[in-house]
Amino acid sequence: MQQHEIRRFVERYFAANGCTFVEANDDYLTVQLTAEMDKELMNRPFYWHYIERTGGVPQPMRLTLITRASERTDKLKGERLHFGAPRLHQLFRSAQKRGSFIRLYEEPSAPLDGNAALHPWLGMNVTISYECDRKKDEIVSLGLHLISGTIVESFHERMRERRLTPKIPDYCFTISPLIKPRSGIGRLEQYIRSRIAADDHAWADEARRRWADDLALLDEFYKDCEEKPECYYIEKEALEKQYKPRITVSVINGGLFYLLPRSS
Amino acid sequence: MNIDLEMDETWKEEFLARVEKDGPWASWEMYELALEAAHHLSVPEFHGLQAPKHLPHLTILPHQLEVARRVVEEMNGKAILADEVGLGKTIEAGLVLKEYMIRGLVKKALILVPASLVSQWVRELNEKFFIPAVQQKKSYVWEQCDIVVSSIDTAKKPPHRDIIYGQSYDMIIIDEAHKLKNNKTKNYEFVQNLKKKFCLLLTATPIQNRIEEIFNLVSLLKPGHLGSSEQFAKTYGKTRAVQTNDHLKALVNKVMIRNRRADTPIEWAKRHVEPVLIEFTNEERELYEAVKALRRESFAGSFSLITLLREACSSREALFLTIKNMIDKCGGAVPEPLERVLEKINAVKTNSKAEKALELIRSINDKVIIFTEYRATQLYLQWFLKQHGISSVPFRGGFRRGKKDWMQELFKHHAQVFIATEAGGEGINLQFCRYVINYDLPWNPMRLEQRIGRVHRLGQTDDVYIYNFAVKQTVEEHILTLLYEKIRLFERVVGELDDILAKMNLANLERYFEDAFVHSRSEGEMKIKMENIVAMIELAEQLGKEGGERHAAT
Repeated sequence: MQQHEIRRFVERYFAANGCTFVEANDDYLTVQLTAEMDKELMNRPFYWHYIERTGGVPQPMRLTLITRASERTDKLKGERLHFGAPRLHQLFRSAQKRGSFIRLYEEPSAPLDGNAALHPWLGMNVTISYECDRKKDEIVSLGLHLISGTIVESFHERMRERRLTPKIPDYCFTISPLIKPRSGIGRLEQYIRSRIAADDHAWADEARRRWADDLALLDEFYKDCEEKPECYYIEKEALEKQYKPRITVSVINGGLFYLLPRSS
Repeated sequence: MNIDLEMDETWKEEFLARVEKDGPWASWEMYELALEAAHHLSVPEFHGLQAPKHLPHLTILPHQLEVARRVVEEMNGKAILADEVGLGKTIEAGLVLKEYMIRGLVKKALILVPASLVSQWVRELNEKFFIPAVQQKKSYVWEQCDIVVSSIDTAKKPPHRDIIYGQSYDMIIIDEAHKLKNNKTKNYEFVQNLKKKFCLLLTATPIQNRIEEIFNLVSLLKPGHLGSSEQFAKTYGKTRAVQTNDHLKALVNKVMIRNRRADTPIEWAKRHVEPVLIEFTNEERELYEAVKALRRESFAGSFSLITLLREACSSREALFLTIKNMIDKCGGAVPEPLERVLEKINAVKTNSKAEKALELIRSINDKVIIFTEYRATQLYLQWFLKQHGISSVPFRGGFRRGKKDWMQELFKHHAQVFIATEAGGEGINLQFCRYVINYDLPWNPMRLEQRIGRVHRLGQTDDVYIYNFAVKQTVEEHILTLLYEKIRLFERVVGELDDILAKMNLANLERYFEDAFVHSRSEGEMKIKMENIVAMIELAEQLGKEGGERHAAT
């Protein structure tokens, strides 16, 4: 992640959460936090407890974040932001917590002739992690048409091209889903399972081979023991933890999208 | 496909609840940011290192990067890191740990280091790697904190031990792992019973001297890699060193990485070494001779004459403390020979060495580190320099971490001279200084190396100057000219001597010296004994070189 991407991310994060910028230039920005954001990020529960109990006037903190070192940031009291900075990772976590669930409606781009029907879709962005003693992630974006059961990939990219709004636009109405959200999620899960099953899993075979090799060495080491000592079993279990291939699927975010039907 | 697959259920339930309640819903912008964050946090490849991208402020040297890569990609996260002193093993270990944490493969880690290094590890992991490591201080820390640093001596004791055995660690890091070379010790057994997925053993002392030791260390890391102990004894029992058996060496190299200074393309600052010989005043000479005369006394066996002689070369204050202790032990009347020494101490009015140091410090006119073996000398020097308007900072190994840092800062910003006693060598970096005065020389060459290593290390960009003080016609001159200069100690790179001494198994080097200086009946005998020691060291070096050449040939 480049510095300018970090800068952009941070600006968007604070703006989206209703914070104002007291100062902003190419090198740093000072953010006036809202009370909510102060509680979210500044880790001072006692202060907030105190203010709430005494009915005091809350004074949310200001946060100065330096995104490019220069002469004017030399003596500045602020936090340097870079890709490994704990603060940035805190913002990542916060964004994921606050951006998990959504419901949006598509706004027609041209004036309508009459009423328009919006079709319900279930969108889901998931991370698939392939894990052994190594690890790899893949992010997949899926959409399920809750009427026909059609599933499309790169759903999120498609959504970016549309005009979406949180309120149902005038002259539009939604069609009730035939597939309920719970079973919709089930269908997407099933889709992910078969997608994974169809993949090449040479990585897992290799991990199992490394595992078998180490296990063979371990057995060799204790082969003369009639009764294996406890550390043999501890080590054996540790090898399983180290090498056993496993796949985990976790949902980043998702929600309901009511969209105008397209011919494409 | 026969792989365990787990679907995360938490999102689903929360989402369905929100559908039921009709919200709350995120804005499109937050939704996008969440996905973007996930993209940044995901690791797209099994191979390669992610950690450097997270640590842009850290200068990682190519050999350190290569070590981290090999540990993760070729050694499956189990390795002995055995770089020579000063090449940055801590950085390598930190990189590996960070890499696994970024990939989500390590959440819980235990780091076992010598007690004196605990806080330094905690600080480096936090500051250099943004790894939230904590020092184990209360017993709940074992269970509640993910990355814990502790000394092995604390960890192996009840009740800690049982709590630790109850934890499942993703990674164990052990610093100074050569202390685990004996498989009959409690420490060894303790480590053997830890639940560990990944494991790093850090050691600077090459374990190539005794072959059973390397067997024990490797078996801790990866039991069976070198076979069972019976097989190992049968196959390699006659092998004296790992280097002499190519097959064994290849096996060991699969789990151990050792970088040598000579192999890294790093340009080391130049080192200038200058002996400074000092003439005693008459009073000082008389004092020295009076101490020497104690050899003939009946109670001579109860103290170390060599210690007294060395103290006499350092300062009368240092000598006085020991003599006073001896007198206290006698109780009542002061033995006559000691009385004579006391008189001579009182007669001494000046300290020739201190005068010389002052002269040198003035001519250098830059920051200087003085190493001395004695606290009394340290205090005296601080007072003496103060009298002449030179500010100094004392430093001892016994200082707590906070005080160590404070003293280091004081020296950096406010004082010209840093006066350290022996133990001050560990755990501080003084690269901003490039002048070292060895006010008195330690008799263990390893300690001398550690001293030099404080300033002549990675990151030193300027030439380094080392002044070795020795008083003429004393044990000091002998040790300097007959030993240290003969074996070219000061010209060697740090770490080299380490290898040589390890091969010689010369743990009791100091006892050889004592024998040469105290029990020799003539100057000639003493010189011959010293020459013998030199010859032994040279022989060990020769053997080492041959091993090295063979290594290069394969």
